[in-house]
Amino acid sequence: MMKRALLILALLCAGTAQATEQYVLKFATLAPAGTSWMNILDDWAKQVAHDSGGRLVFKMYPGGVAGDEPDVLRKIRFGQLQGGAFSGHGIGLIYSPARVLEMPFLYRNVQEIDYVREHLMPEIDAGFRANHFEEIGWMEIGFVRFFSRKPINSIDDLRKSRVWMWQGDALGQAFFDATDISPVPLSIADVYTSLSTGLIDTVPSPPLAAIAMQWFTKTSYVTNTPMFDAIGALLVDERFFKKLPPDLQKLLKTTGTAVGEHLIAETRKDNAKSLDVLKQNGFKFTMNPGDVKESELFDIRDKAAALLAKSGYIPQDMFDRTRKLLDKYRAAHPQDQSVQAQPH
Amino acid sequence: MNLNSLYAAALILLLTGCSMNQMVVRTSTPMLTGGITAMNHETDLKLAKDAMPASLKMLEGMLVNDPDNSLLQGYAAQGFYGYSYGFIEDDDPHRASALYQRGFAHAQQALHAAGLKLDVLGTRQQDLEPAVAHLDRKALPALFWGASCLAKWIDMNRNDPLMIAQLGKAAVLMDRVLQLDDSYYYGGAHLFFGVYYGSRAPMFGGDYARSRQEFALARKITAGKLLIGDVLYAQYLARQQQDRLAFHDKLTAVIAAPPDLFPEMALVNKIAQRKARMLLKLEKEWF
Repeated sequence: MMKRALLILALLCAGTAQATEQYVLKFATLAPAGTSWMNILDDWAKQVAHDSGGRLVFKMYPGGVAGDEPDVLRKIRFGQLQGGAFSGHGIGLIYSPARVLEMPFLYRNVQEIDYVREHLMPEIDAGFRANHFEEIGWMEIGFVRFFSRKPINSIDDLRKSRVWMWQGDALGQAFFDATDISPVPLSIADVYTSLSTGLIDTVPSPPLAAIAMQWFTKTSYVTNTPMFDAIGALLVDERFFKKLPPDLQKLLKTTGTAVGEHLIAETRKDNAKSLDVLKQNGFKFTMNPGDVKESELFDIRDKAAALLAKSGYIPQDMFDRTRKLLDKYRAAHPQDQSVQAQPH
Repeated sequence: MNLNSLYAAALILLLTGCSMNQMVVRTSTPMLTGGITAMNHETDLKLAKDAMPASLKMLEGMLVNDPDNSLLQGYAAQGFYGYSYGFIEDDDPHRASALYQRGFAHAQQALHAAGLKLDVLGTRQQDLEPAVAHLDRKALPALFWGASCLAKWIDMNRNDPLMIAQLGKAAVLMDRVLQLDDSYYYGGAHLFFGVYYGSRAPMFGGDYARSRQEFALARKITAGKLLIGDVLYAQYLARQQQDRLAFHDKLTAVIAAPPDLFPEMALVNKIAQRKARMLLKLEKEWF
């Protein structure tokens, strides 16, 4: 009888210990404190702490304090961090096929992005899992355009420019190879100075990033044909995620998905506002939709895809499936074919 | 007053281009300057916080009577900056934003009086740079407090692309201060650039070595007596570099500093100590 009572007591104690165990998710992002992005992530942390009764808490490392994305990945692998918000650059280091969503000249508008992503996400999530990460939420950094010192009205104009490429970026390299452009590979930290000295005169960037990085102060023109849609993801180390009790896993996933959707909506708003700011700053919009034949852009896209397939960065069949999804969407939405890059 | 006196007074007004109200304002200015000195010596934070709004309203009242008085415009920009930074922004960033905006509006007027005939916010940075390069030493207060108010106004609105786009202009104004007199206002321009380069990752334009250098130059100018420099170092550079030891040590030293360390800037040092205590409470969360 005594033995049984002790056993029950021990079980009760174990249960209590499990229920009150606290999990700390150390999470890094490049988003600076106070920005829309960071405010949303901070609110997420508060919500998770509240809804879990304090069992799951975030410790945020904003503004790149934990280093750039390769640094953050290294720290995750060493167990110093458990997660982070990554751009395509970091995503490419984890599961590069996800960057099929960043193929150049793929989409005409955000509706196409949303459709394709929704259909590819199960496969992309599986890819992250196979590489020891759990995708918690999806983000977007926005349509990338060329910011330049001289007007760029055609792909030929682009060929005559000194264009920056993020050093070591496989997707960027494939685009430039397919376009027959010799880019200037530089670290992102050197872009502003290189625009000042004239080493480069053109940078690909979403509008908000061009403003945040102050690149817009060194350029006067911006292209109006979307080059590609820069992606992002909220990712958590699989080892951490698997340690969580099922209810906390569910909480992290459901809130993370909602946060991702919120981030996408805010990013789209901020990029639209940024285009207004550029207009107010006297920017001239070049290479408007229709100025360049779509067939020329598609040719570049397909050549880049072939190069990426050859290197194994993005499998050809994944690109082909993406194309088919787009064809299907376009066939079902003939009214929704406009190229959506104009500032409103 | 006899007729001759009236003629004499009228002649003075005509010759100086002053109205009676302007005369009154200008003769009162030394009192105002004395008031600012007394405020800087204040060691009772509550007294300073309670007294500043009345002083600011009096300043604005004087500007109503003498709207082109650039000395008063500079004081107003400084006053709104000091009040907001010292007493408002930590509890109410929304209100602080409006106060910094108001301070910047006064500085913009002072810049105009100093020869900058364009609107800072509405001018492209590329066009602002050459215009600011022509300003001389008499523009120092307007440049310094204009840059300070603008930078903090942006800081309170980091989620607004329109404001983020103005950041480079604040640096343009402050860079001119560095060129004209880097020791102006206790080396405040060096503190500005210490924060400017220390609060961002290198990919966003941060430069930690430059930041460290700027903080060191500011410290040298006041022989380390102005404590706010060490607070800003901890808050921005040490946090950005995840240097917990520097964060802790600097803030702890600021709190331990004697009250008579720098009597002419006693109020700013008191504010620095209050902010240091507040930041130390965040140590566990930030590192």
